[in-house]
Amino acid sequence: MAEHARDLSKTLLLSGNEAIARGAWEAGVRLGSGYPGTPSSEILPALVALGDVYCEWSVNEKVALEVAAGASVAGARCIVTMKHVGLNVAADPLFTMAYTGVEGGLVIISADDPSMHSSQNEQDNRNYARAAKVPMLEPSDSREAREMTMRAFELSEEFDTPVILRPLTRVCHSDGLVEVGERQEVGLRGDLAKQPEKYVMVPAYARKRRVEMAERIARLVALAEEDGGLNREEMGDRSLGIIASGVAYQYAKEAFPEASFLKLGMVWPLPPERIRRFAAQVDRLFVVEELDPFLTEQVLAMGVAVEPVDESSRIGELTPARVREMVTGEKQPPAQAEAGLPPRPPTLCAGCPHRSVFLALRRLKAFVTGDIGCYTLGTLAPLEALHTCLCMGAGINEAHGIQKVRGHEAPVVAVIGDSTFTHSGITGLVNVAYNAGVSTVLILDNRTTAMTGGQVHPGTGVTLSGLPGRELDFEKLADAVGIEDVRVVDPYDMAATEQAIREAMANPRPSVVIARRECVLHVREHPPAPQLAEDKCIRCGRCIRIGCPAIFDGSGEGERPMPRIDAVLCNGCMMCAQVCPVDALIVPDAGEGDA
Amino acid sequence: MVTNVLLTGVGGQGTITASTILAQACRIAGWEIKKSEVHGMSQRGGSVNSYVRFSPLEQIASPLIPEGRTHVLVAFEPVEALRQIGEVAPDGVVLVEERRIVPVTVNMPGFSYPDDVLERVLASGRDVRVISAWATAVELGEPRAANSVMLGALSLLLELPEDAWSEAMRLVLKPKAVDVNVRAFEIGRELVRA
Repeated sequence: MAEHARDLSKTLLLSGNEAIARGAWEAGVRLGSGYPGTPSSEILPALVALGDVYCEWSVNEKVALEVAAGASVAGARCIVTMKHVGLNVAADPLFTMAYTGVEGGLVIISADDPSMHSSQNEQDNRNYARAAKVPMLEPSDSREAREMTMRAFELSEEFDTPVILRPLTRVCHSDGLVEVGERQEVGLRGDLAKQPEKYVMVPAYARKRRVEMAERIARLVALAEEDGGLNREEMGDRSLGIIASGVAYQYAKEAFPEASFLKLGMVWPLPPERIRRFAAQVDRLFVVEELDPFLTEQVLAMGVAVEPVDESSRIGELTPARVREMVTGEKQPPAQAEAGLPPRPPTLCAGCPHRSVFLALRRLKAFVTGDIGCYTLGTLAPLEALHTCLCMGAGINEAHGIQKVRGHEAPVVAVIGDSTFTHSGITGLVNVAYNAGVSTVLILDNRTTAMTGGQVHPGTGVTLSGLPGRELDFEKLADAVGIEDVRVVDPYDMAATEQAIREAMANPRPSVVIARRECVLHVREHPPAPQLAEDKCIRCGRCIRIGCPAIFDGSGEGERPMPRIDAVLCNGCMMCAQVCPVDALIVPDAGEGDA
Repeated sequence: MVTNVLLTGVGGQGTITASTILAQACRIAGWEIKKSEVHGMSQRGGSVNSYVRFSPLEQIASPLIPEGRTHVLVAFEPVEALRQIGEVAPDGVVLVEERRIVPVTVNMPGFSYPDDVLERVLASGRDVRVISAWATAVELGEPRAANSVMLGALSLLLELPEDAWSEAMRLVLKPKAVDVNVRAFEIGRELVRA
């Protein structure tokens, strides 16, 4: 092998998420908490794998931030991870932690998702930094993700404030080379001294902290004006100047490698003098940023002239070509698109236990208030059996609201996954019972947080570090909040599933149906695929219409449907056989299928 | 110069694992590298794209391949090859697995799997090589090694040392899967050389 300039054992290929975990670990972090959410989900598993750090999947983001708030008061460095919408859930503690400040450094990861690759909105969480008055750093690749995480802990302690690090999907899920170092052992700061004027935010104390917060921000602005590590000028061709941060900086650098850049690592607060100085050195000035005109508006408010860009650039993630368009105003010809290709959207897996639930709901003509998870895919054709999806935990409350105005006659069912139920469904169930609701709540218990990659949660009885935890008993919980009609079904038994849902819907009292079957991605050994007895098949197409990715229509143009089962993709759930009216789909070893 | 490789396939096929092997091979060779993809909702049987950019010397800015500048498209499924063909530079190379994975959308009105998919890829004007990676891997007794057949074919187009590839496979794959994948990789090299 060739000789390397680098020490390979210290130069790792890390995703942005792994680099954040590495930076936190090297900075001596003592506690990590969070709730899974794409694109943030891999940070805590990477951190727990490095060792020496207590990490937990908390029940939701608010809980996670408050656990870290406690550990910080106790003097530990803490990291809290979540996706952008997770910070909405954690916003309540965030806004007041900006007043109390910290003891041990506290870094919040807000992983934003422009273009909504795996999200319900593309909110720009830079607005949280300004609204909560908390400094925010924005890494542009894995190398910076590690460095900025480490720096964020220092800033947090030096300025007595939580610090938000905002990586985007294209940082979290991009890999790059990172030079790593050793872990710095940082002890617990302080001695858990009682400081009510700092940590009890009653009005009298909060008013004092509010003034201290303003002084802290002024000191942060002074830092942003001077610091060469956070913000930096890269002077090139002075006919074009670009202010950018995060991955947008990398796209701009790709599109205009010769231009002059003011690269911002800290996107709030901004350094006005530095921005004015940079602007004075270039002929034309652009701000290249994804989503909201967050930097643009602040730079304009500084009295600096910024060239306008097309408003369409505010929607969705940027690319090098889109940045080129923003700056030159010239539309690039789109890449040649091939016509007539069948789209390949995400679908419920072959053998997914959720499929039978949606088939039953479709037959029952239910109005289904959904939630966030794999099962949100139940809204797509051919299932088309999920009719609302707002945010984590909303489905139960929406069902309750619908039936409060339309009565029990409205055939409404709330559908929520096991992990989402523990995140924010429990409070809704309490509300239904307490307020004399009538709703049927369907808990799709596949024993994991499937959509984000299969994380554990209270219902699994296993913790992030792999140790046994107290398993949440959904049946007992429903009983304890006052739901008298609680049923458990195996969704692989389609008739029993439909019957349980029908009966629960007919009950004028609130009800819970738990459809329990392990996520098919977690099952190691699958039963064999059924075989088609072609002489029996009446070519009705019912098996094809269950929307299983392992079954496709092998008929020719104008012919009646003819199922073909891909035995490699099939996981042997036998739902297709259960919908077959003539038993033409047979288990290979059941006798009739002998070859 | 920066080389841009786009790997495309269907969720669950191992597209991201294949791109990680490529990226690790570049790291082992001492090259600069960036790689990007999307997880979560986009998996689950949907189309998956992984962008890999590397260079022996240069720093790399964008984690996404600039539009139309893909040098090599590695497609693990023919329709996915056609979907991304416009991203391939006019003098670029396309390595395409011939085995089809039919999406569920063909069961809905208005969509069908085009019979002439490989002909259309071949007619794109790029240098197209059709590879029987799946069939080769099935002969080896491990269908999941199909991606390594494709990587073997890719390796002939890149100037990475061969031992960087095998070391990368050892690093990324489960120990018991290494031998069969290294064999599949070598067969992939032979398939394209022939």
